[in-house]
Amino acid sequence: MKLLSPRAVFAAIVGFNLVALALPTLVILGASFTEGNMIVFPPEGFSLRWYEKVLGSESLQEAFGRSLWVSLICTAAGVPAGALAALGMARFRLRFSGVLQIYLLLPFTIPLIASGIGLMLFFGEIGVLGELWPVGIACAVINLPFMIWAVLASVNGLDPDLENAAANCGAPPVQTFLTVTLPAVMPGVITGGLILFVLAFNEFLVSLLLTDAHTVTLPVSIYNSIRSIITPDLAAVSVVYIVVAGLAIVLLDRIVGLEVFLRSK
Amino acid sequence: MSRYPITWRLLDLVEAVAALLWPRALHRYTGWLLLLPAIALVGLLVAGLAYMGDSSLRLLDTETFEQSEDYTLANYRDLIEKPTYFTVLMRSTGAATLVTVLTLVLAFPYAYSMVRTRSAWRRKLLLVSLFLPFFIGQVVRAYGWLVVLGKTGIVNTLLAHLGLGPFKMIYTYPSLVFGLVQYMLPFAVLLIAPAITAIDEELEAASESLGATGWRTLRHVILPLAKPGLVASAVVVFTLTITDYAMPVVLGGGTNDFIANAVYDAFFRISDNGLGSALALTLVVFASTLVAVMLGLMGAGTLGMRPSGRGR
Repeated sequence: MKLLSPRAVFAAIVGFNLVALALPTLVILGASFTEGNMIVFPPEGFSLRWYEKVLGSESLQEAFGRSLWVSLICTAAGVPAGALAALGMARFRLRFSGVLQIYLLLPFTIPLIASGIGLMLFFGEIGVLGELWPVGIACAVINLPFMIWAVLASVNGLDPDLENAAANCGAPPVQTFLTVTLPAVMPGVITGGLILFVLAFNEFLVSLLLTDAHTVTLPVSIYNSIRSIITPDLAAVSVVYIVVAGLAIVLLDRIVGLEVFLRSK
Repeated sequence: MSRYPITWRLLDLVEAVAALLWPRALHRYTGWLLLLPAIALVGLLVAGLAYMGDSSLRLLDTETFEQSEDYTLANYRDLIEKPTYFTVLMRSTGAATLVTVLTLVLAFPYAYSMVRTRSAWRRKLLLVSLFLPFFIGQVVRAYGWLVVLGKTGIVNTLLAHLGLGPFKMIYTYPSLVFGLVQYMLPFAVLLIAPAITAIDEELEAASESLGATGWRTLRHVILPLAKPGLVASAVVVFTLTITDYAMPVVLGGGTNDFIANAVYDAFFRISDNGLGSALALTLVVFASTLVAVMLGLMGAGTLGMRPSGRGR
């Protein structure tokens, strides 16, 4: 009977999850260091040759640079828009706030394929399809709710009386905003910004729809290679993503602490 | 005046400009001003949908490959009449249901253990294990599964030691479902965890001290109280799965297409923008209706955008 207590079953499921969550990452890491030409298990020998090959590849470097640029544009557009929207919704009693909530959730409720195709048609119509910045803007649009959620979560920790006190002491609106409001929601802004950056760096489907052969981003370029033949150099490229993800997690943990995601609303 | 530090004078300038551009009379609209950039960004999406709506009402001329001038519902009729689209819809819905159930079953114990563990170290391990794949992205993860489940991958190699296999696992329905579940797990856990945090631990202790077994406490105390998180994650996992593109195309190997794959093919294989738009809009309506019904039946859960404790 003890074997089937919730505690034991939960522990077993958690163990299974940990393996399932970690396995692709570990396998990619392992495969990237192989000496052989094929991905086999266990990896044959140890070498950095696939990293050398990847670092020498101009097309991969360019794809990496493009992905970085897309992420920067996405963050630059999405962070202010999302943060201000969250403050606007939390701080002001707006009419139609129910409709507004539904509207701002649209990027989340509209399927990604539809958002991507719609934006593709729109950007095509205004003649900017094939350039890189619309991809960044598109990423900001589809991930905007994440930014708004992140900032709303930290607005809860901000006492409106603090802003009133600042105003009472003679601080004009902009100063109140810069010295009281913004620092208070900064953890949310940073969390949201990091998430936006990483999600844009990873974004595959919207990139696939909005880029052409000259503007492929890194996820699309990996995808194109998967479709042909699976060689270890792909594993070495994928390690870029593991490193970026690791960095983002360390930053998040240092700045706000991963535990904030467990807080109840 | 000039004795003041430069930052003060700059700030005064900014205040003056702000007061000029946004006079006090407009202050009651400040909320809307703050929302303007976000509304504009989402506006691009709405504009895109409008273009799709327009395109979906025009028929493709197969001679010239241009869309007709006048409106027709022919594309929507096509969708209903062609059995392939019904099959794809059913496949996506079935897979989404299966993935949602499996994900919730796996995610709940993970979220519960993560919130309730006394060891800060273990909590951190569970959090990092969750965020790492979440931040790695779908294509790389799908690629990882190709390597794990491939002909010479870990699973087949281990099975070979037991004298079994090799089994063809990639490009099959089970591996697609498995890949999707692993992909959805972080979303589900992160939506369930706050709901569990909100449960007073003493309620569980009270239930057990009154003689309820672990399972009865789980069923009658913990699960009902965790409902907002479960609802939110069910809705999110279901909609993300039913609209997924990457997993079916990478792990499904082209024989297990979902609706999104059919939309993509309509645009880029047969170049019929009208048909593709009609299909994509149908998906929008289908998914939105499902979300609305689920949220209507079960409440907004932890998905609400309103900060807690205010104006509810």
